[in-house]
Amino acid sequence: MLLTLRRSIIAVAAAGLAAAFVRSRGNPDTPPQDGGWRELTGPELK
Amino acid sequence: MRALVLGVGAVGSRVARQLLSGGSVEELLLVDDDLSVAEEAAHSLGPPAEALTVNALRQETRVERFRERCAGLDLVVLTAPTDHRAFAEAALSSGCHVVSTSDDLETVQELLALDPVATNANRSLVVGAGFSPGLTCLLARHGASQLDVIDEIHVAKFGTGGPACARQHHKALRSDGLDWRNQRWEKRRGGSGRALCWFPDPVGGLDCYEAALADPVLMLAGFPEVVRSSARVAATRRDRSTKWLPMLRRPHPEGMIGAIRVELRGWQKEVRSAIVLGALDRPAAAAGTVAALAGRWAVDGRFTRTGSGGLSVVVGDTIAMLDELAALGVRAAVFEGARSDFV
Repeated sequence: MLLTLRRSIIAVAAAGLAAAFVRSRGNPDTPPQDGGWRELTGPELK
Repeated sequence: MRALVLGVGAVGSRVARQLLSGGSVEELLLVDDDLSVAEEAAHSLGPPAEALTVNALRQETRVERFRERCAGLDLVVLTAPTDHRAFAEAALSSGCHVVSTSDDLETVQELLALDPVATNANRSLVVGAGFSPGLTCLLARHGASQLDVIDEIHVAKFGTGGPACARQHHKALRSDGLDWRNQRWEKRRGGSGRALCWFPDPVGGLDCYEAALADPVLMLAGFPEVVRSSARVAATRRDRSTKWLPMLRRPHPEGMIGAIRVELRGWQKEVRSAIVLGALDRPAAAAGTVAALAGRWAVDGRFTRTGSGGLSVVVGDTIAMLDELAALGVRAAVFEGARSDFV
């Protein structure tokens, strides 16, 4: 019983560490910093 | 014009209001399974709106009653969540133009298959005439005029309209989506294929996923030359993790702000180019406006052809339709100034 509990705690801790590692690494690409939306205007609606 | 609106929910009530505000409506029948809902809407709109129901235990009786009510009408707008094929056939056989706002993939495929019936009847059956699909198809057709060659169309949407739309969103995430790639349909598991899509402000960037959406099917009908077409829907972790369950809580009566985004890729003067168009609105309000305007165009004979098709197929003068939509409060936008990065 105690062994199972200990294994469970170790498994949860390992999973948490792996998740934290992946999350902290993130994606090196930054989202677009320029550009934007504007309403379609003009006779040609461009 | 004599018109009938089937389904008086978030979209149907908007369709009815838009039809009446456009003028020249002599008769407007509001049909709903729940007669009290139809009566409430008719009371709110005032004459000539009239409430009725075609409820019956047997589906055949229900459709037959509906067919009888369609006699002498010019336009039928289908906004109820189900049975669009049967009702569309009944309305076409009665000589009505039909507009369907369904965004259900199977329903859209069934309605597109009614092209011979609508063509023989010399009537328009406008399929997927809502916010997405609907306005997305119109924007794709409009953007296409600015490119010499189009080979990819990618659609993304965010937000839901009324309760039926929220249920459809849940169902779409649970089901396989269809992507058009290299001359064949490929199934994509709902909730997979995450892509960060940028919607008009203030919605901004959202993670979007594959789902059973009708846009690629409608796009391919309008642009048979494309080699890739996909559609994604913005979803939260909770949406994806609970997609296999029944909806955990009752859907909201009316969604918040929604947005759509249509990206076209192709060639312009031998240079690789992309055009990104979008819109921001309450999905049910925008869908109601698009459907009502599509109905008016059908009755006035302003589409390029009769038969069944989405707005990317039947609309020739996209500038006129977008202008009229803008006058009704549904405005389109273009994204510019940055390289597109939709993969």
